Amino acid sequence: MKTTFAILVVAFVILLVSGRPSAEVPPADDIVRRSFDYMRGKASTAIVNMTIHRPDWERLMRIKVWTKGETDSLFTIIAPAKDADNATLKKGREMWMFNPKVNRVIKVPPSMMSQSWMGSDFSNNDLAKSDSIIHDYTHTITGKETVDSVTVYSVTSLPKPNAPVIWGMQKLKIREDGIYLREEFYDEDLRLVKALTFSDLQPLGGKLYPRTMKMEQADKPDEYTVVTYDELEFMETLPDSLFTLSSLKTPRR
Amino acid sequence: MVSLHVRMAWRNIWRNRRRTVLTLSAIAFATVLLVFMLSFQFGSYDVMINTAVRIHTGHVQVQARGYHENNDIRLVVTNYQMIGDRIKTIPSVQAYTYRANAFSLVSSKNRTYGAIVTGIDPPREAAVSTTASTMRQGVFLSEGDFNQTVLGELLAANLKVTVGDEVTILGQGRDGSIAATVAEVKGIYRSGQDEFDRGSLQIPLAFFQEVYAMPDAVHEVVAVCHSLSDVDTVKAILIADLATITSPYSLVVLGWKELMPGLAQGIAIDLVSGIIMYLLLVFVVAFSILNTFLMAIFERTREFGVMMAIGVSPNRLARLLFLEAILMTALGVLIGIIGGSLLTWYFQIHGITLEGVAEIARQYGLSSTMYPRLTLVTASVGPAAVMVITCLSALYPTLKVRKLRPVEAMTYV
Repeated sequence: MKTTFAILVVAFVILLVSGRPSAEVPPADDIVRRSFDYMRGKASTAIVNMTIHRPDWERLMRIKVWTKGETDSLFTIIAPAKDADNATLKKGREMWMFNPKVNRVIKVPPSMMSQSWMGSDFSNNDLAKSDSIIHDYTHTITGKETVDSVTVYSVTSLPKPNAPVIWGMQKLKIREDGIYLREEFYDEDLRLVKALTFSDLQPLGGKLYPRTMKMEQADKPDEYTVVTYDELEFMETLPDSLFTLSSLKTPRR
Repeated sequence: MVSLHVRMAWRNIWRNRRRTVLTLSAIAFATVLLVFMLSFQFGSYDVMINTAVRIHTGHVQVQARGYHENNDIRLVVTNYQMIGDRIKTIPSVQAYTYRANAFSLVSSKNRTYGAIVTGIDPPREAAVSTTASTMRQGVFLSEGDFNQTVLGELLAANLKVTVGDEVTILGQGRDGSIAATVAEVKGIYRSGQDEFDRGSLQIPLAFFQEVYAMPDAVHEVVAVCHSLSDVDTVKAILIADLATITSPYSLVVLGWKELMPGLAQGIAIDLVSGIIMYLLLVFVVAFSILNTFLMAIFERTREFGVMMAIGVSPNRLARLLFLEAILMTALGVLIGIIGGSLLTWYFQIHGITLEGVAEIARQYGLSSTMYPRLTLVTASVGPAAVMVITCLSALYPTLKVRKLRPVEAMTYV
């Protein structure tokens, strides 16, 4: 009840703020959709370095990533050697993990989806429901500013009724060319839980792209995960056979 | 003067033997009941606590600061063997063991669940926890076992595994690496605590340390004491000991109340409801005693009239009567304490076997024989309450006496 009320209040405020649409602003849904497509492309391969930072230690992983369409992804760890060939397949909203040492594929059960992925600040859900933002939320433009002569839209996204979402609200900052600058995740009491910041814009994979993204926990300033793209390539498509359980088990360094 | 009063009161008490014996019996019976029941209640708390403690937490644990709150695998105790050696020298410690925990995915052929994987030292664990005695299938881990596991009955049912099957464990090591291994199910236990049986799995500590990349480190040093009353002493000794041990992570000593706050609160609630019941009992007794005193005064109205006529002041008469009441109550309470203590003491030694629950009790690692526990507190709190309330109820008839008029009282039949 309290949550519903809070959402209503926020929705009302947003209505007030956005009550004066101007002609040149595209609909919020279009901005988010276009941006999702820009960031994800039709299909891609990438090599990223993921740094997990904790107050007393730090861990670096190198991961190869394949993506296709809105939902399919495959992640394989390249380094450190000890964890090499551990892989995660995400298809639709389901996830499987493969470990070469025990040579088993484990499907991540629904109860474990909120757990951290590979010990990082990304949860399994962050990966599994990455397309949730375009399907499960209604978007409203709540602000518009100009940074470095580029228009940046602030978008507030609230979940559609009965949508299977994990967040009570998301706030996005999106450049007019579709590049994400910041994504904030709020719980159902509309408290900030974590935030993903994109930075270091440069030509990558044939377009301007944020090379670095950083996921930070709101209540733990000293804990974050930084993902930096080493290589990124966009393509028209990738074979479906790549996103299968048998492909998950195949070492592909 | 005082001794005269006492002598008079004492004689008055025994002038009507039957009445006095009846009153005394009521007081003594209430006292016996209170002493025994309070002792029994505290005894059953001890059993509850010790059972819960034996399933899981132990009486006292040494952990890295913050581990209990966050269960962060990084927060370890590195010099655990040194701490174990110190614990060994504390006389009131019965047994101790080392444990390490990690939340992981546990998977059978087709099913996967999240569970807490605990690394245990099999022989030490068997001395500390009851898990080894609640095995439903197979046997507990033993020294030298490596990639074998025992798990809770509900988890085994969820995974559809039985003894001899393999389970895959997939989690995260202390260094952030991926911890993955396969272990063979050696046994299945049922502690009776569903949460524990649904979400726990135990593997040998050496195996755990290898899989989770934490050599020479554990998360908990667990100790059980001979008696619950030793816990605070052991805690104090350990806290003093830890001050002399340097450790990369600051260490804390936690007692069972901090480890299982729910149990401590449950007991507090049960105690309050018990106290309300005892108060009701005491009130019932007090009213019956009030009745006896009142009747006695009606019977003795003539006697009081005569006493007042020969010059005993109403105040003095009231004091005399009050003294009678106190003497009688004290005598009753004394008999009650002796009787109650003897009764409690007998059952404390021989136990009370609850017929028909032996089978169920054994499944949960409990004994069907309950032992009351007589302490200074259980032997004195109830009687003191009886004493106070009885004396208060004796005040009313005593004060009533002061209103008597000698002439009317003497003609009273």
